Amino acid sequence: MLTIKRFASIPCGTDLTALYRATVGDYPKFFKMDTACKLGFLLAEQLADEPRFTPREDRAVLMFSTCGSLCNDRHYEETVREFPSPSLFVYTLPNIITGEIAIRNKYEGETSAYVMERFDPETFVALVEQAFQDSVTASALCGWVDCRADDDYTAFAFLVERGGNGKEFNVDNLYGTVNQ
Amino acid sequence: MEQLINEIKLKLIDALNLDGMTPADIDDHAPLFGDEGLGLDSIDVLELIVLLERNYGIRLANPQEGKKVFQSVAVMADYVAANRTK
Amino acid sequence: METLIHVTGAGVVSAVGCGQGETLDALRRGRSGIAPVRYLRTEEKAFPVGEVKFSDAEMAARCGARQGLSRTSLMGILALEEALAQAGLKDLTGVPLIGGTTVGGMDLTERIFPAYSPLHDCGASTDAIAAHFGGSPWATTLSTACSSAANAVIFGANLIRSGQAEIVAVGGSESLSDFHLHGFGSLMILDTAPCRPFDATRAGLNLGEGAAFLILESETSRKRRGVASLAVLSGFGNACDAFHQTASSENGEGAFLAMQKALRMAGLRPEEIDYVNAHGTGTPNNDASESAALRRVFGEQMPPVSSTKAFTGHTTSASGSIEAVFCLLALQEGFIPANLNWATPDPACITPYRGGDASCPTGHLPLKHILCNAFGFGGNDSSLLFSR
Repeated sequence: MLTIKRFASIPCGTDLTALYRATVGDYPKFFKMDTACKLGFLLAEQLADEPRFTPREDRAVLMFSTCGSLCNDRHYEETVREFPSPSLFVYTLPNIITGEIAIRNKYEGETSAYVMERFDPETFVALVEQAFQDSVTASALCGWVDCRADDDYTAFAFLVERGGNGKEFNVDNLYGTVNQ
Repeated sequence: MEQLINEIKLKLIDALNLDGMTPADIDDHAPLFGDEGLGLDSIDVLELIVLLERNYGIRLANPQEGKKVFQSVAVMADYVAANRTK
Repeated sequence: METLIHVTGAGVVSAVGCGQGETLDALRRGRSGIAPVRYLRTEEKAFPVGEVKFSDAEMAARCGARQGLSRTSLMGILALEEALAQAGLKDLTGVPLIGGTTVGGMDLTERIFPAYSPLHDCGASTDAIAAHFGGSPWATTLSTACSSAANAVIFGANLIRSGQAEIVAVGGSESLSDFHLHGFGSLMILDTAPCRPFDATRAGLNLGEGAAFLILESETSRKRRGVASLAVLSGFGNACDAFHQTASSENGEGAFLAMQKALRMAGLRPEEIDYVNAHGTGTPNNDASESAALRRVFGEQMPPVSSTKAFTGHTTSASGSIEAVFCLLALQEGFIPANLNWATPDPACITPYRGGDASCPTGHLPLKHILCNAFGFGGNDSSLLFSR
């Protein structure tokens, strides 16, 4: 059985820089990230458990959205005609968010970025369950980071583990937790 | 030269999103890459190559050249002064 | 693996041809599809590319698609049509469609909105492909950069393993666009000459485009329907390099873990692998890192390894499934595609297989197990293992 170990969310309108300074403060690469990556990074910081920063193969990182990297795609496109920006281009790849989280935390398990039509808890739960099919994965950081514009987003994430004492990770409890 | 150094520092802070830094925080001779100094990475090199082309009309053909030019702000300023086309 | 997962259909479109027949012919003859830009609307002409040799209109006519579809969707439709036909399926009724793409239809956006405002999301092309085949009960888009299509294969296989589906259509499609041509250009990893994977003088990759889809099917379903098995997907693995957004680690940790997972799942020893289709993009960093990973997995007993990127260019998100089809052809036909353009050994790299037809003019190599690597930015590394 999969259970919810931790949950975190970032309400739209949060001052992300202030949140970073209050909770992290020593990872200047944060300032280079696009908004979607900042959200994913900060959620992962809130969900991270001890011991930190030791390489682990047993943790997967799964991110879901409706719009991939659409918000940053626009920023990059603005630069293409004259001087395409390499750092903005990197963030047009929707899965850089999982990469950034993995790099920061040394998570070496599966990383996946899914794009779906709308938030659909059944598919969300099913896809997370898929990730536990192998014998290696013991926990997964899975989140919904839907960044339509820098000031228009939905962002929450779960730390889900095999076994554990938390509530079962299913559609009802997912809804219940998110709506609280 | 001092003016150019200051200008480059400002552009560097802007292009690389070096949050909260001012030109005074960057030593003219401190290494830009590696663990000391600013600790920039390979994508920053590419961003600096764009910075040179956009602002000074200097085109670097490959990132390896960049490593030499971007040793420090002072080295960068010398290079810009000698090679700028705008 | 507890459930046998068969490949019962495959379809492919790339710079070397449309369909398995043309593809096989080009791979056997060592005929590359890399050339100067012809179809893509771009000012950037300095870099050779691997374009599919059809205009959008020609492709639409071939597959009878409705007007206004993106090139990404059209290539996907051509590939999926071939795969479904081979598997004896009329459409996607009851068949989940898992597609991998990253830019996904950006080509169309660029043309319709010259102001360059991306209005689509990268899931749009999978939905368009599904709609062409009568809709799919579950169309999902995976976007993990250049390992997207390989991860779509893994995802589909997991749907079968968990009993959520008996048949799935998996793969990816990606067309060239001004968007990612400039993007890769800004990363300074494009070569102005044809790419030379694993060669000491390699100076970057050539971008390519294309699509490929596989039909994966459970043993029970395959027997019930009485269709032939092209190969078995005997193992797979995905791991994260957790090193850098765009660069691979020196020791190839992510690639090593992915290959090791695939072998473990299949219950195979490294020496049982007959061929590795490498990711081998031709960038200094990727090829050295992948070589390090290959050396860690195989040690002294290195099987033949080749990158087919010099045939097709780097087809980015679609490369995982396109090269999977190359591996299926290699298994069935008993040949190993050559690593074109290799001349100078690099101590940091493996020496790739260059034989092709010359070393095996009539012969049929008895290949049993093939590994197929696909790595993506974000350190997303995947390895697929196909067996006969």
